[in-house]
Amino acid sequence: MVMSRLQKIPVVEEKKGNPLARVFDDLVRFCRSRSLFILHYCTGCGAIELPPAMTSRFDMERLGIQPMVSPRQADILLITGYVSIKTLKRVILTYEQMGSPKYVVGICSCTVNGGMYWQSYATAKKLDEYMPVDLYIAGCMPRPEAVISGLQKLMDRIKNGEADSWQDYYRNYDYYLGNQQKLFGEDWQTPTDIITEAKHYELMGEGTLGQHTRLLEQHQQPLEALEMRLGHKLKEPVE
Amino acid sequence: MSQQVAHWLDNLLKEIEGIEVRRKSSRRVRVDVPADALPALLELLQGRAGYIHLSAISCVDWIDDGEFELVYHVWSYESHSLVSAHIRIAREPGVYLSVYDLYQPAAFFERDIHEMYGIHFEGSPNMEKFILTEWDGPPPMRKEFDSEAYINEHLSWQEYNPEWLQELVAEGGGVIIPPEEQRFSQKKK
Repeated sequence: MVMSRLQKIPVVEEKKGNPLARVFDDLVRFCRSRSLFILHYCTGCGAIELPPAMTSRFDMERLGIQPMVSPRQADILLITGYVSIKTLKRVILTYEQMGSPKYVVGICSCTVNGGMYWQSYATAKKLDEYMPVDLYIAGCMPRPEAVISGLQKLMDRIKNGEADSWQDYYRNYDYYLGNQQKLFGEDWQTPTDIITEAKHYELMGEGTLGQHTRLLEQHQQPLEALEMRLGHKLKEPVE
Repeated sequence: MSQQVAHWLDNLLKEIEGIEVRRKSSRRVRVDVPADALPALLELLQGRAGYIHLSAISCVDWIDDGEFELVYHVWSYESHSLVSAHIRIAREPGVYLSVYDLYQPAAFFERDIHEMYGIHFEGSPNMEKFILTEWDGPPPMRKEFDSEAYINEHLSWQEYNPEWLQELVAEGGGVIIPPEEQRFSQKKK
């Protein structure tokens, strides 16, 4: 109890030394928060609120938020509605392919707690069990104003450097993998090697490795790079 | 026109014995048939009455009677009318004949019903998984499948009154509906 109160006291780090040392970081974060590309994975009915939010009626682009077509170029993964268990597999594959830093926004009540599909055998209930979620926008469905105000909150968090839950996926990979294995079976494997990536980003935490990652290593198929061929032989012309 | 067609159809349906015809309106007839007479009825409707479109096959699980009810909806483009043929089959072993040779779209409906209810249709071209390709549980639309027990076993819930929600409520937002008000199974009786 005392500890939890102590943790709430805001800690102000004194900037020692060069006062301009953090300016560059602040500038990067500011720029990052003003040019967000969203990959809207339209899983459910909430997707219908995005076209008015993006287009001239509410115009998300004035905030610097634009839709993007491919996961590798996107910053935000927008989950708009219920996530069925089949879809969740694809969502996780998509999420893992996105480049860091990446942010997940869950729109609609369904991503929070199953929503009106709470009794359905086919939908996952808590999205944040399977990937770290930065922000939930609750509602059934949230209006475009709510979507935009939620994204503005995300922008503020990025600007202040608080939106770092993507690091949590590397630091606590064992927890997320365990939940995925519970749902998809023990032979679940994604084409992205998260543990190697965590080592590469120097984001290995106490929860990166554990019993679930050991289970993954037992049956993991080695990932092979695709053959790269330049100037391969064209078919010989038919004479 | 439709009056004449209705009269003519009623006469036609009298050709099969042991069926019960209930006319709902000039364009809609409900027919209850014994299960073994259904292929003959459909053949008659398709061949002689122009009911060439099978709109859907629907299934109802009457668990207390130990029966499945299958409903074949056939539509005629000439008389613009719908005939719904109802049959009852035993829940165990849950096997029935396919009508794929009469109506080819039946393959999809039968595959769907096989997946959701576990009824096997003999002679249907494909009884593989259709939508639930990654599902290995029991057929989920059968009445004995307890969906809530299944999800309680496999999935977990968000806490209903977490701290961050209390912060939102203090700011004047948030709507809290406790589970006992929202979920019928948890309601106090």
